[in-house]
Formats: sequence, C-alpha cells, structure tokens
Amino acid sequence: MYVLTEYIVRGIQAGSIYGLLALPMSLLFATAGTIDFAVGAYALLAAAVATIVAGPLGIAIAIVAAISAAAAMGVIFLVLTRTGTRDHIVFALASFGLAVAIASFILWQFGTQAFVRASFSQFWSLGGIRISPQGVINLGLGALVTLLLYLLLYWSDLGRMMRAAAANPTGAELAGIPVARIQFGTYLAGGLLGGLAGIMILYSAGLDFTASLSLTLGGFGAAIIFGITSPLRCLLGGVAMGVAEALAAGYTSGMVTAMVPFLFVLIVLSVSNIGGGAMAGDRP
Amino acid sequence: MRRLVSLVLSAVAAAVLSSAAALSAEAVKIGVVLSLSGPAAVFGIPERDAIQVAMDKLKADGKLKQPIELVIYDDKTNPTEAARMVTQAINNDKVVAIIGPGTGGNILAAGPLALRMQVPLLGPAGTMAITDRKNEFYPWVFRVAPSDRVDVKVILEDMAKSKAKKIGVFFQEDAYGKTGVDFAKEIGPTLGMEVVETVSAPYTATDLTAQATRLRNAGVEAVFLQVSISSLGASFVKAANQVGLSAAAYANAGLAQRSFAESVGGDVDGLRVLSIGNLPYDPSDGEAELAKLLKQAGKVPQGWGELVGTNGLMTVVAAVNAQGDKEITGVSMRDTIEGLCGYPAFARGKPCFSKDSHDGWAEDSLVITELRNKELRTRR
Repeated sequence: MYVLTEYIVRGIQAGSIYGLLALPMSLLFATAGTIDFAVGAYALLAAAVATIVAGPLGIAIAIVAAISAAAAMGVIFLVLTRTGTRDHIVFALASFGLAVAIASFILWQFGTQAFVRASFSQFWSLGGIRISPQGVINLGLGALVTLLLYLLLYWSDLGRMMRAAAANPTGAELAGIPVARIQFGTYLAGGLLGGLAGIMILYSAGLDFTASLSLTLGGFGAAIIFGITSPLRCLLGGVAMGVAEALAAGYTSGMVTAMVPFLFVLIVLSVSNIGGGAMAGDRP
Repeated sequence: MRRLVSLVLSAVAAAVLSSAAALSAEAVKIGVVLSLSGPAAVFGIPERDAIQVAMDKLKADGKLKQPIELVIYDDKTNPTEAARMVTQAINNDKVVAIIGPGTGGNILAAGPLALRMQVPLLGPAGTMAITDRKNEFYPWVFRVAPSDRVDVKVILEDMAKSKAKKIGVFFQEDAYGKTGVDFAKEIGPTLGMEVVETVSAPYTATDLTAQATRLRNAGVEAVFLQVSISSLGASFVKAANQVGLSAAAYANAGLAQRSFAESVGGDVDGLRVLSIGNLPYDPSDGEAELAKLLKQAGKVPQGWGELVGTNGLMTVVAAVNAQGDKEITGVSMRDTIEGLCGYPAFARGKPCFSKDSHDGWAEDSLVITELRNKELRTRR
C-alpha cells in the first residue's frame, strides 16, 4: 500500500504540469471554440530562454518571449478571421504550423542542448515519501491558476463576455462585446500559461528542442479527458494522466509504460460517451 | 636563345594545359546524409560540422589525390526521409559513397537502396543490425563507430569492478534503448551480474521519479543508463536523487555529450559514462587536432558525434586516395573500403575493415569517463 501511495503522490506532482498545459487550451476553447496546438512550443521557448538567461530576470524574459510567440498566433488568428475563415480546424492547423516554426527556431538559435536547471537539493518527507519542493510549487501553481481561471470565467463580467464570444461571436459583437480583442487576449493568456509550464518543467525534469509536440499532446490529453470547457476538470485531467503514467511506470514494463496513459485517456473518453457525454464536459 | 624561349613557352603551355585538365577533372562526389533535425540532430549537427572542418583541412593540406565534393542532406531522423535523400544523392548528384544516414533505423531503411544502386553507406551508428551478415545489403553497409554490443560490454565490465551483483536498467523507449537492455541481460550474467529491474521512458517524459522509485524499491546496487537524450539522462539523475536512489550509475556512450555533463548538478560527481574518445575534455592528439579545427570554425566540441562523423570522412578519403587516379565508382569504393586497415583518422583506435567484418572501429576507440565538476574526465 505504501508503494502504491508513493506512486500516486509522484503522479499527482507530475500531473500538475499537464494540467498547466491544459488550462490555456480550455481557456481558448471557452473563448474562441478552437485549440492552440502551439502551447507546447510556448513552453519550450520559455524554457530555452530561461536556460540562457539565469535568475528571475531570465524567467521574466522567458515569459515575455512565450507571450510574444502567442501574440504571433493571435495575429494569425485575427488575420484568418478577417479574411473570412470560420472553420475552427483551420486555426488549430495554423497553430500546428507555428509550433513547428518555433521548434525549428529553437533548434537554430539554441542548438541541441538540454534545457535543465537545478532546483532544490533538499527534500521534504511526507510519511516517509521524499517530496521535492519544486513538485509542490508546480502543484500549488497549477491549483492557483486553475482557481483564478475558474473565477475569471464563471464569476466575472470578462468571463461572461469570453464565453459569449465563443458561443455566438456575431451575437456577442452585436451586444457590444469586443470579440476580436477578447480572443486575442486569450491567446496571450495561453502564452503566459504555456510559458509558466515551460519554466516549471525546466526546474523539474528538463526538456530539449524535441519536446514541443509531446507537451502539446500531453496538455491536450489532460484537457479533453474530463471536459475541456472547465479549468478545474483540466487540472483534474492532468493529475489523472500523471497518476496513470506513474502507475504504469511502477507496475508495467517495457514499452507498455508509454502506452498506458493514452490508453487511459481512450478508455475514459469511451466510457464518458456511453454516459451521454457528461464527463466530457457536455451539459448533463 | 630562340631554343631557350621555345623551351620556356613549351613548359608554360604544358603547365597551363595540365592545370586546365586538373580543373576540368570532375570531383568525386560524396553524399553526407545525416540527421540535422529531429531527435538525432543532437549527433547529426556535430557530425556535419566536424566533416566540414576536417574536409577543409584536408584540402588545405593537399591530402586529397583526387578532388572530393561533399553534398549534404538532412534525413530529419526519419527513415522515409533517409531513403528519399539517399535516392536523391545517388540519382541526382551521382555520389559514389554516402556517409550516413544518421541513425540505425535510417541506415536499415536505406540499405536496400544501397544494394540496388551499388553505392556504399558508411553508417555512424552502433545499431547491431546494420552490419548483420544476414542482411541482403550487407556488402554495401559499413559501420564507422563501435557497435552497441561492444559499448555495452565495455561499460558493464567497468560496472562489474564495483562488485555490484543486482543491477537495474533505465532505457529510452526506442531501438537504441531496447538493444541496450537486451545486451545487458545477455552480457551481465557472464560478468557475475543480474538485471533485476528495468524501467523505461519516452524521449520527452516530464517526470521520472516513478521509474527511479521502482529501481530503488528493487534494491539495485548499480544502475545502467541506456539513454542518448541528454535532457532525459539529466532528468533521471535528478529523479534518482529526489527519491533516494543511491546506487552508482553507469551510462552508455549516448550520454557522453557536453550537454549532459553541463546540465546535471555537481551532486552526481562520480557517474561513469562510456565515450567514443573524449573530444571535449581529455582529447588524444588526433582528437585535440579536430577540437582545434572546430574551435577555429567557431564551433564548440560536443562529444563523440564529431569523431564518428570524421571516421566516415577519413574512410572515404582513404578509399579515394587508395584508388590513385582511377575512375571511381560505387563498386570501386565498396571494394576498396573492404581492404582498408590502419589508415589515419582523428578518433583514437585502429580502424580496420575486411570482407568478413564491416565494423571498422572496436574497443580501442572507447574510454570510460567520470563526471567531475560538470566535465566528463577520462579515467586513467
């Protein structure tokens, strides 16, 4: 039982990173009805910049870099919208393109080096389980951001406008809601959250220039597993994926380990569909 | 006087004609198909950089008996792309030999093309299968790095000196990782060690504490790391430290990279890493010369990628020079390479190919290094 508990604790800590990556996807889906698949690239860019520039200044510059990259995606979104594009899949594909461009830029500018920074050398003990303070910071940050986003989306005027912009853009505009500005701002927020996730990974496990797509997929998996429209469900999805990964690493062997989390997502989505989609975030 | 003038004019005319002939002589084209993007770019980019600076040096020193032109391609760490680039190099650019492709999987994908179009491949990869005699394309593929089997044997022999009996393996989820585990299970018992636990992770895992916990719970006395992604290796080292896995760690050559050494903290001093030579930190004379050339070109020596890249180049140059001024074809290159032994190279060790062995480099090209103050220092 102790061993099982330890794997679950480690999974919860790891899952908070997926949750952080899932949150911007939830936010954008709630606002623009599309997905930004460049979130992993924003995280990678932030980690790369914070590797080169040390300290709090480096973190600040890294976050600005991630937001700037997200701003580029926001501009692409606005241009596509102005030119009459309404199909949400086009915006998602454009973000894929941007993600590839950012990853190539990082390989060109930063090379093939590992982006890793040392964090804490002392660990806490929780019932005999060694816990990294960095893991606690990751989890705390994930929970805090989730709470803030929840309050923003469901308890503020801005949140109501954001949801209205997604539900009925034309109607929202007629009601005087600045839909384009709100959607652009949501892309920027996605850059901020992606950048934060990148910094957390930099100080936790580390990453390299190849990480962009897998981070995006991890975040996307976490976002859809329990319902993309709710930040809380995104965080829970991330934690669930982290726990599934930890248990797979602890109890399965060989190449099966990598397969288990995705199998888990597949099973949950299938089960939730059987139940009328309630778990996937639809209205009950 | 008139006779003297006519002699001088004849000499000048002869010199002009011979230099014109030399200029018009077509250069021998060599393809360089390496992984310049994708996960294996970690090795492909240093390989390319070293090949280019070494080629410039050979030209400047007049070491080429026939002019050689390199044509460089990116296989994107993708077997399909590797096959496409090899086809393009042979059909469009008429190369007579190819250094690459960049990974074992890519070389295996390109092997049948080498056989069909009769152009030899010089693979900078340890994957055993590329020079398996059962391959139909065996005559056309040569290895310019030590094989994975040799690597695993050498690092496990060093591990056995620690008197560890129960060992654990952490490996990355690809062919390189799986091969290392299989060899460790096979070679370990012959050295008095048993693999009691294995754990793995994909390249881009964001947390490895569960894997480290499992090894710790298995009570392993030493850990063998079969990883080539430096961020993954550094992540495992951090995770092991966090969960209290104190067993000594031994890494295969995949982690002999400056990037790995610099990204792990000082609390893992003593970690052993196998390396093909030691270009960045304790170079041999030949390696020091290559490191100097790289630095002059503004490059920072990274690890063994540069060495295996130049192994390919020096093999090609030795084969071209051995053929004098004969017409060079893919077939003549292949036949010549099979007879090469003990020719100059930047890497340590004596390269030697034969009809029965297409593995050019052996144990004498390897060193055991130890991590000290973020540097991989060769153990004496």
